[in-house]
Amino acid sequence: MASSQHVLLSPAELAYLHASLSLTPPIRPDGRSPTQFRPLVAETGILPGTNGSARICFADGTEAIVGVKAEVERTRTRHDFPSLDEGAEGDDDDLEDNQHDVVKGDNDWVEMTVEIPGYRDDDAGTVFLSAMLSEALLADGEFTKRLWINRRFHWKLYLDILLISPPLSYPLPLLSLTTHLALLATRLPRLKSEGDEDPLFDDDWAAAAYLYPRPAAKKGSKKTTSFATPTARPPVTLLVMAVGNNIIFDPSKEELAVADVALAVSVGESSNPSSSTAMDIETEETKGHHNLRILSVRTIDPPSRLTPPGIPNASNSAYGANAAGAKDTEKKKQQQEQARTAESEAVEGVWKAPRGGAKPLVLAALVQKVLEKGGVADEVLDALDGVDLN
Amino acid sequence: MPITILPPKAFREPPRNLHHDSDDVMSDASSDSEDSDSQPGGVSLDSGETIHPRKRRSAATTSGSTFTKRPKTANITSSISVPRSAIVTPGERITTDPQWMRGHGTYLSSATLGEQAITSSLAGIVTRTNKLLSVRPLRARYTPEVGDLVVGRIVEVQAKRWRVDVGSTQLAALPLSAINLPGGILRKRTETDELQIRTFFAEGDLVVAEVQQLFQDGGAVLHTRSLKYGKLRNGVFMAVSGTGGGSGVVRSRRQVWTLESANNGGPIDVILGVNGYVWISKHVDPVIPEEAKNQQTGITNLEEVVSATMYSSQNDRIEPETMREIARIRGVVTALVENGLRVDEDMVTKGYNEAVEMALVSEGGPEDVYLGGERGEQLAAALTGRLA
Amino acid sequence: MPLDTSAYSLALLRVDGRRWNELRRIHAQIRTQAAADGSSYLEMGHTKVMCVVNGPSEPGPRRGGVATGGGGGGGGGQSKNAEVAVNIVIAGFSSVDRKRRGRGDKQVFELQSTISQALAASLHTHLFPHSTINISLHVLSQDGSLLAALINAATLACVDAGIPMTDYVAACTAGSTSTYAANDEGADPLLDMNHQEEQELPGLTVATLGDSDRVAVLVCESRVQVSRLEGMLAVGVDGCKQVREILDRVVREKGIKMIQEGTVERGVGLNDMELD
Repeated sequence: MASSQHVLLSPAELAYLHASLSLTPPIRPDGRSPTQFRPLVAETGILPGTNGSARICFADGTEAIVGVKAEVERTRTRHDFPSLDEGAEGDDDDLEDNQHDVVKGDNDWVEMTVEIPGYRDDDAGTVFLSAMLSEALLADGEFTKRLWINRRFHWKLYLDILLISPPLSYPLPLLSLTTHLALLATRLPRLKSEGDEDPLFDDDWAAAAYLYPRPAAKKGSKKTTSFATPTARPPVTLLVMAVGNNIIFDPSKEELAVADVALAVSVGESSNPSSSTAMDIETEETKGHHNLRILSVRTIDPPSRLTPPGIPNASNSAYGANAAGAKDTEKKKQQQEQARTAESEAVEGVWKAPRGGAKPLVLAALVQKVLEKGGVADEVLDALDGVDLN
Repeated sequence: MPITILPPKAFREPPRNLHHDSDDVMSDASSDSEDSDSQPGGVSLDSGETIHPRKRRSAATTSGSTFTKRPKTANITSSISVPRSAIVTPGERITTDPQWMRGHGTYLSSATLGEQAITSSLAGIVTRTNKLLSVRPLRARYTPEVGDLVVGRIVEVQAKRWRVDVGSTQLAALPLSAINLPGGILRKRTETDELQIRTFFAEGDLVVAEVQQLFQDGGAVLHTRSLKYGKLRNGVFMAVSGTGGGSGVVRSRRQVWTLESANNGGPIDVILGVNGYVWISKHVDPVIPEEAKNQQTGITNLEEVVSATMYSSQNDRIEPETMREIARIRGVVTALVENGLRVDEDMVTKGYNEAVEMALVSEGGPEDVYLGGERGEQLAAALTGRLA
Repeated sequence: MPLDTSAYSLALLRVDGRRWNELRRIHAQIRTQAAADGSSYLEMGHTKVMCVVNGPSEPGPRRGGVATGGGGGGGGGQSKNAEVAVNIVIAGFSSVDRKRRGRGDKQVFELQSTISQALAASLHTHLFPHSTINISLHVLSQDGSLLAALINAATLACVDAGIPMTDYVAACTAGSTSTYAANDEGADPLLDMNHQEEQELPGLTVATLGDSDRVAVLVCESRVQVSRLEGMLAVGVDGCKQVREILDRVVREKGIKMIQEGTVERGVGLNDMELD
């Protein structure tokens, strides 16, 4: 599905799209600026039965709903460290917060499913989408730590991502934004028990703490907040593509069909600037802006590579002069030669599918553009912050 | 601002107390449909009489002009009052009067005493042409009619015909015999043509064509035997809803026209396919090569020259200014559709002029062609204000 | 968890405070989704479902990917009637206890084919040979009467899509106030069961074609004495008529709104015709 989704466009359309998107500045078919997203409608807290939920609709009608549900699960005791801390447990309680190795998360604690109507859940495209979204969430290992309750129990988080509309465009940005909002709105009941007892929770939903504590209302239990700064937030995955010298965000299906390169870039906010992993690309400025870092990058196979090439007039047998029958053989020969060159070289106004892989320089430029201070990722995060959580 | 996030539109709970006229909705619990249109889909249930007494309507059998009578009350509170009877819904009896004939969107169901009632099968409005009663749906897919100008996309190439997506319930067919051969040659199609069928149109190609005839089952057959029709290039495509019902492209005086654009964009062709598929492209005057000019340019000769470029898939050179204005027109059409307005020559032209003016005062200047979101609403508001 | 059914005989009120013949609040909207041919959103109490209809349309040559749901296999092909393909997605978060259902789930499969057959009987599928009507349903929240809610939502979405049909297919559930084991002859029938009642008491889902008594769907998956069945069925059929009224109102309100907004021009009023 999806990435290799077959878009049926005529060579003339592809040539036009490619030409208009390659201009400086590019002219997008819907008139957006290169960094502009489609306007969207967002709401959270739509499903009272979940711990957190969100719904986003784009103006073109694509719509997604995400629900987050948490269940308490017993942490499997590790057999490789038999009874290492049996005795010391009670005394260390206060120290735990400062010890990295105690509050541990496990990627198994998060289960994500993506449902796209008309596609099986084991469809390659669906699996790829879900892998990309969960990869971004789990990449820095910080997220699962939030699910830690005590040594014996943890929250198991189920993320169900539903695409309601048929996939009109590559749904990755939509699903990612919706997941982001749902996670922001997710709340877990307040823990009443202490230490490693069987967990007991406060029945009062109003007292429940946000999974991602909000700067304004930072009440949550100590345990869940201790490893995150108040500004931490879930990742977003942005779809970026390059055509010619232009970098275009949130491409529509038609635009993606002429992409030279398409990338899914997952960006998170680094909560802990000092702990830089190999993947980190820190932006220097931290003041007033989000401290962004790359969590994952995936290349998306753009459908442009599968498109049929256009036929230049010179080699088109149904094109006037040829069809009408060039009289002298001399002329015909000339035309055949022209046709041969036309096959190997680009002719203006004729569509030709991009060949070869993505150039490292282009990839670097794309990633740089995403991370730019005050750039797109920054503004997207700001805008998502503005959504009312209830 | 790269992203606009809008709050959801508050949903208003419909006023409940307005609709207590349960009598309004069609009655007659025991009607058994046995028309050509439908298969009776259930068993008859006989034990229910005590709980829901059947409301039999005697009016239908007594008076001569027997339109089902309904209380003409219950107007929705609003600026314009529309009676509830303006809309018919599936299963609603329209008339039992035998003088009417049933058209689209209706079926015959047997009423009491063996009388046949024309019954609506759609939610929509009743229209009549002489003695023909039909129901036009509030919204539906495009239904082809002979003579319609449509834009379509080739989705399948078969031995002697193409299968074309025209946004209808079925694919349309374009037979090899219904196209012009390049160079305006008139002859019988040969096997060579059949083998070369992809050189005329291949999968994905866009065509503008006319509906030539309809099959019994509703499938359309297209033709492109005119210089106006054929393969499309030099522009952009967009799909909106067609004339099936609701907003979108409507049948009007002209579906195709050339619009003189602002900002040095030059002339731009707009094709509003009746099926809701729209093509906006640079206007290209047919180029007449030198040799042809030297010869006597008769009508047939011209035709020959023009049709020579008919199957090209190579775009001409298009200036950025033209591309920008094409994008602006596309934005106008999108804004019209998203705001529930009709799309025709008049609206597109007015909308375009409005959009050009709006761009002049916007921060981006005349080069700003974005018309999504709030700007689209602004545009629609300006248009409806002016047209009202 | 046993339901305290004894409370009913005292006050004649059910666990959620309803009387025996009361429906829960039904709230519905149509045209919730701009990209689809038809769409709807329906709540019956706390059961919330969404429906998106695409088509009727003729599938082009197969190019991988799109698999139609359980309602039937492959594309329309050369069939004389349109195929009604129903696909149900039950969201993991929809029930109180999360339960993951794969696509192969038998229960989902049965729901799909029931809805597909019920709608195919009312929709005028013979008008669209070779075509497919794709109905995809999303269950967002479950609190009993799921099949009924799905049928109602699908009907609304088909009306919105402008697909001709004989009449609305309106559905609801009916149950009985005491269990099968109690063998209580004096048990009252119940209308529109919620999840708790469904767990405990015998019940059935019934759908009728419009105003008539013609039953389009009748599903009973619990043990119940035959003597009680008639009463339950009668209550259910009566409930279907109430549901039909509600669905009809939703459609009319949308239509009238469209006329007011000028999206659709007014047609010939029936009363105008009477004049000539």
